Amino acid sequence: MSAYFAFARSSFHSQLAYRNEVWANIFGKLVQVFARVAIWQAAYAGIGGIVVEGVSLQQMVTYALLGGAVMGATRPERIIGEIGRSLKTGDIAVWLLKPLSYPLYLFANECGSFGYRLMTQVIPTVAFTALFYGMLPPASLFDGLMFVAFWALSFTLLFLMSALFGLVAFWLMTSFSLDWILGALLQLFSGLLVPFWFFPEPLAMIARHLPFAWVVYYPNAVYLGRLSTAEVWLHLGLGLAWAALFLAGVLWLWRRASTRITVQGG
Amino acid sequence: MLMHHLRVLPLLVRMHVRSKMEYRGAFWLDRLAQILSYGSVFATIGILLARFDTLGGWTWPELALLFSFQLLAYSLGAAMSFVQLRELEELVRLGTYDTLLVKPFSPWAYLVFSGLNIGYAGHVILAVALMAWAVLSVDFAWSVWSASFFIAALISATLLTGALITMIGATALIWVRSNHLFSIFFGFWELTRYPLNIFPGGIQTILVTAVPLALTSSVPVGALLGKPIPILGDWAGPVALVAGPIWVLIAIAHWLYATGKYQGAGG
Repeated sequence: MSAYFAFARSSFHSQLAYRNEVWANIFGKLVQVFARVAIWQAAYAGIGGIVVEGVSLQQMVTYALLGGAVMGATRPERIIGEIGRSLKTGDIAVWLLKPLSYPLYLFANECGSFGYRLMTQVIPTVAFTALFYGMLPPASLFDGLMFVAFWALSFTLLFLMSALFGLVAFWLMTSFSLDWILGALLQLFSGLLVPFWFFPEPLAMIARHLPFAWVVYYPNAVYLGRLSTAEVWLHLGLGLAWAALFLAGVLWLWRRASTRITVQGG
Repeated sequence: MLMHHLRVLPLLVRMHVRSKMEYRGAFWLDRLAQILSYGSVFATIGILLARFDTLGGWTWPELALLFSFQLLAYSLGAAMSFVQLRELEELVRLGTYDTLLVKPFSPWAYLVFSGLNIGYAGHVILAVALMAWAVLSVDFAWSVWSASFFIAALISATLLTGALITMIGATALIWVRSNHLFSIFFGFWELTRYPLNIFPGGIQTILVTAVPLALTSSVPVGALLGKPIPILGDWAGPVALVAGPIWVLIAIAHWLYATGKYQGAGG
């Protein structure tokens, strides 16, 4: 286990090495969050309403801050890119010789990067924008605690989805399109920019049942108190079931992929 | 010297295109994935507009025209610069940029044309199809003048995109690392899918001056459609037209300055 902890720590430190990049990333994240808030302020101003679909502008601003800063700390393209690179260079073959699990290494690596982005992007961005816009607190203590659980689930689920998409590269021999396809699905069906309560039916109904909803929409809806206590537990269970399904998929694909490695690089 | 360059450039482009088209299935799968990705961004804006009708006073067809203009100008400009200049950092770090300096050829021209990115075909296909629909759907009386302005503004926006990316890439010749500046570039670039007037004053000012990406999207399209443009007002149209050529001159000066400062980092 200490080996995986070392991978996570190494991933964290390697990204901290370049201070200019830390500042550039904080600046980039702040711009994105300010822009998302501006989009919602303009949308609400356009219809002259302060409450739409039972959601106030202040709640929508909080949703945008959470979606932009908190949920944006996981980078699927990094995970898929890592698998694609290992495949292209031939490094992937070395993992078969080590007494370590490649999927677990990827997870440890992403945990380190997540910790880096949490400290250098999420916390500064949330602190600054919350001061600026007055971010709402969680709807209740229960919702706040459950938001943390949903956030951890969101991170795990996004990692598993990315690893699953990345492993498909063993068959396609390119990870580029997989990264873009996952990005497209997340853009539309995670609720990142537009939450499902503004979606037209039946698109909203479909989106609520897809696993991407647990990445942004459900954690934010829990934070804002949009789900009853029973619904929170139900959706936590459903999210865990999705995570178990993706975990089984990743392990199965890795086993299948290991048997068809063709080393072309290195 | 110029004739020598003009003879060699098509050969560089042909070689690169052939290498990229070696795996045609993978190439077109990648393009389809990019169309899906930008299509989903466009669909998300569509869902927002379906519920809220307008955004900053812009209707759905007007935003579709803005989105397609932004995407087309970016893809044409970036095809001539992005991947090539992003790789410059690595060439500097490894010292392989030195080999370009001893060639009897402009390093910038060699970099750009030997890596001309035909991978932007997906962007162009989506943007042109969407633009055709938006041009016909928008509530606007087209004329020869307005169509000419539209095309000239698109060329200017393309030049501006290429100039900004060139400047970021060239900074690697001084700092060794410059790719983190692209994250700032793309952070602002994503905002240019939306009208300039919805953003706070500070972001509006940056988007018109230091990172002038609004001049590649909502400024020219807003000027064409007669929308109020913050900061620039009635000057929006002329500024959008001259911005591209002016920033190309600034980029040339920056490239020459960075080349003068280059000392090499590889061993």
